[in-house]
Amino acid sequence: MKRILQYIFFIMLISASTVSFGQEEKSDEIKNLSDKISYIMPGNSKFLLRGYAHSGLEYVPDSKMTFVGGAFNPLFIYRQSDRLLFEAELETSFEEDKFDVGLEYANMSYIITKTMTLRLGKIFVPFGIFVDRLHPAWINKFPNTPLGFGHDGVLPGTDLGIEIRGGAYAGNLKYNYSFYVVNGPQLNTGEDHADDAGKLDYGIAFDNGFNKSFGTRIGLLPFSNSSLEVGFSAMIGNVGARGTEYEKVGSQLYAVDLTYVKTLNFMQSMLDVRAQASWVNVDDADYPVPDDPGQVYTFTNKSNTFFGQVSIRPAYVSAKFIKNLEFAVRYSDLNTPEGAMWETNTERWDYSLNYWIDWRTVIKFSYQSQSGGDHNEDAGEDAAGSGNAFFLHWAIGF
Amino acid sequence: MKERLIFFIGVVVAVTIVLLAAGCSATSNVAANRSGAQLWGENCVRCHNAPTPATLSDWEWEVAVSHMRLRANLTELESEKIVEFLKSVN
Repeated sequence: MKRILQYIFFIMLISASTVSFGQEEKSDEIKNLSDKISYIMPGNSKFLLRGYAHSGLEYVPDSKMTFVGGAFNPLFIYRQSDRLLFEAELETSFEEDKFDVGLEYANMSYIITKTMTLRLGKIFVPFGIFVDRLHPAWINKFPNTPLGFGHDGVLPGTDLGIEIRGGAYAGNLKYNYSFYVVNGPQLNTGEDHADDAGKLDYGIAFDNGFNKSFGTRIGLLPFSNSSLEVGFSAMIGNVGARGTEYEKVGSQLYAVDLTYVKTLNFMQSMLDVRAQASWVNVDDADYPVPDDPGQVYTFTNKSNTFFGQVSIRPAYVSAKFIKNLEFAVRYSDLNTPEGAMWETNTERWDYSLNYWIDWRTVIKFSYQSQSGGDHNEDAGEDAAGSGNAFFLHWAIGF
Repeated sequence: MKERLIFFIGVVVAVTIVLLAAGCSATSNVAANRSGAQLWGENCVRCHNAPTPATLSDWEWEVAVSHMRLRANLTELESEKIVEFLKSVN
């Protein structure tokens, strides 16, 4: 009996040692694995590379059929701490037989309070909704911008300055706001290109005087599910160069925008409605007549542009192919000053049938029908000419 | 036209001051009562399709939502709830 007890004790002793050894071994194994992966885990500062790319095929009947685009926009996001963030987006593209690299925006944001952020640097000017929210190719439901937007448009895109922005609640009403001071647009006096006299040039690196442009956008979201947003934007400032006869020329821009995104249960679909109406007013000024610099001409320098778009996607039906389809239609127009050398009255309808490969990758089959715009071909890249065009366009966000 | 613009700006500034003042003193039940999943679904689609949570890792979502907090004017509570939701289903 005594022998049996000794034997059992001996077995238990060995088992305990083995278990203890096993536990230590596992603990060491976990530590080794943890050490191996620790170098890829971020510290308090975190860096993320995002962005998007797009290209496509454009067919203009009786004119051209060409592959276009080839653009790649890397977005660098660096979170220095919980309150400090730096973001920069490059814009690289291959157009007109050359490779272009541009700085879309680069700014530092500091979160001041739970509902307020300070932003410094090159920013998207929060004027309306298209530039600030909808322009990336994988978000834009069309292969092009509405009339009046884009690099040669009549509305602001990016600029250098300071912005206070945020979102908050007033009771149960949600709102968002932005107040900013930027270098602002500059008046083109036609010195380099006489046909552009009276236009506003945006996104220039240095201001032409001490006067800055001040602006705001206020967005109101009256429904608790944030489905509806109505926004009001304004931007004012002098645009003439200091020390010139245009020094006192001012500009006043304002816009109203609307966003409505709603699930339509009876159609098992997602409805998406956007619209923006914008007005650009520049004080009257005299510009030299191109062929006779001794003479001047003037015009009432007021432009306006509008776009409205509706899209519907049967995202909640069971058929996979159908649920990835989306149909979108957009109307836009652009009216520039009568008497200006860049005068135009252009209208455009865009139709697009989109197929979403995943939530951020889309193929767009689009048709564009444009009328007007024949007053002057220098009215802008989007406004020049009438006619129809077809696009096959793909875009990926990453 | 200038008078109209000044009036417009005045109205916008006045409304903003009122809203900011109200916002500072009021605590909203709207965001507090909504889940992270609801806020994720409702706010993302205001500009683009709602992202699949598996797209990014947990720490990457922290950075991405910080970015979107600024772009979409989300409040701190909204962004925190969205991050927690994305991490929880990742």
